Amino acid sequence: MHHHHPHPAVEVPSGTAMDHVFKIGIGGPVGSGKTALIEALVPVLLERGRNVAVVTNDIYTQEDAQHVRRTLDGVLDPARVVGVETGSCPHTAVRDDPTMNLAAGAELLERFPDIDTLLFESGGDNLTLTFSPVLADVYVFVLDTGEGDKMPRKRGPGITDSDLLVINKIDIAPYVRADLEVMSRDADRVRDGRPVVLTDALRGTGVAEVADFVLSGATACSPAR
Amino acid sequence: MSLLAQLQLTDSAFPGGLYTLSHGLEAYAQAGPVDVAALLEDLLLHAAGPGDATALVLTHRAVTAGDWDAVVEVDRRLHAVKLGREIRAAATRTGNQVLRTAALVFATPELARLSGLVDGRVTPGNHAVVLGTAYAGLGVREADAVTGDLYAFAASWVGAAVRLRRLDFRQAQAVLYGAAGAIGRAAAHALAARGPLDLHAATPLADTMSAAHERAEARLFAT
Repeated sequence: MHHHHPHPAVEVPSGTAMDHVFKIGIGGPVGSGKTALIEALVPVLLERGRNVAVVTNDIYTQEDAQHVRRTLDGVLDPARVVGVETGSCPHTAVRDDPTMNLAAGAELLERFPDIDTLLFESGGDNLTLTFSPVLADVYVFVLDTGEGDKMPRKRGPGITDSDLLVINKIDIAPYVRADLEVMSRDADRVRDGRPVVLTDALRGTGVAEVADFVLSGATACSPAR
Repeated sequence: MSLLAQLQLTDSAFPGGLYTLSHGLEAYAQAGPVDVAALLEDLLLHAAGPGDATALVLTHRAVTAGDWDAVVEVDRRLHAVKLGREIRAAATRTGNQVLRTAALVFATPELARLSGLVDGRVTPGNHAVVLGTAYAGLGVREADAVTGDLYAFAASWVGAAVRLRRLDFRQAQAVLYGAAGAIGRAAAHALAARGPLDLHAATPLADTMSAAHERAEARLFAT
């Protein structure tokens, strides 16, 4: 699988714990299934031997952080899930000025030095959302069929530039008159063939493929500890 | 060149997470109607002036004199007078992040020295102390540095007020311009400080509101 990974122009000095942990950014519109994907992905990553923690960027409440804690009860220590307030600027928090997410990640690493994989969930945003390469080694953008099958054609940096595009809720496609073939064909076209995975995060369909892709980035991007 | 460096550090685009802070305004907004301009003036005169701005001035002087024990003393005292957990955590989170980026970008020996002290857990690395250290090393005059930083605080405050729908964008700029007098007085207060014991804050109501915000069910901002 081709892995496209932009590097920052200025190299951040290595040596801090955050530089040695593998960071996954998950972004996408409101309600597309970012939280559901994380809840499905975390058990798979744990099974594959990764030590995981999650930083959510809730818009207004702690709903996402609490949802992840509840759903992963018994799977992931609730203390390994933290929420960060973003002052109603979800894209700023992961792209322009991700410092508060970096700070939250650093605090998690201080409490749990065994963590080797951090998932950052952006607040629900629009199609222009991208992650700072300092915050995410791999950037996953999540769309869903409920938004309509024209979505991939709308492009936007989230859809075209993400390392992996996930099209979620394939189970409801017939009910919202979304043609999966059209969606994946358009997605392939606007992404120049970079990977697209179709998922039903609630049933786990496609989640193993997401994990495969994400972890292929772990060896490529993350320096050995 | 020191003017450009100061503009860069004062600019809200400099990554330090300031956009995640409402400096207590969100708690007031959740409690009821709030006079954004009057509250800003109160905070400038009773919290930011004798607190962060004073710490910035004292740090600037200590760094210029090469007295790093004094820098640590100022930083620790500022940490201690910030009573609320949110406010205290925000000051070190933003401070540490600004320090990381500023040390890389400006690469002054002063910022490198402070980074060593913060990494070694000798000192917490409050936002105001990081900026005082940066400005001293970059040759920004004490009075300009403190005035600019108080302006940045006020700009961040009205920005939060817009996002909380307490001001529209024109009112926000009017409030910011109208805060000039209070910014000047707060800066003068800070510049008159003689030592760490002059560093204080007296905002019992704001501290109470901040404590309530910690447990608020919903919030946009970290403070």
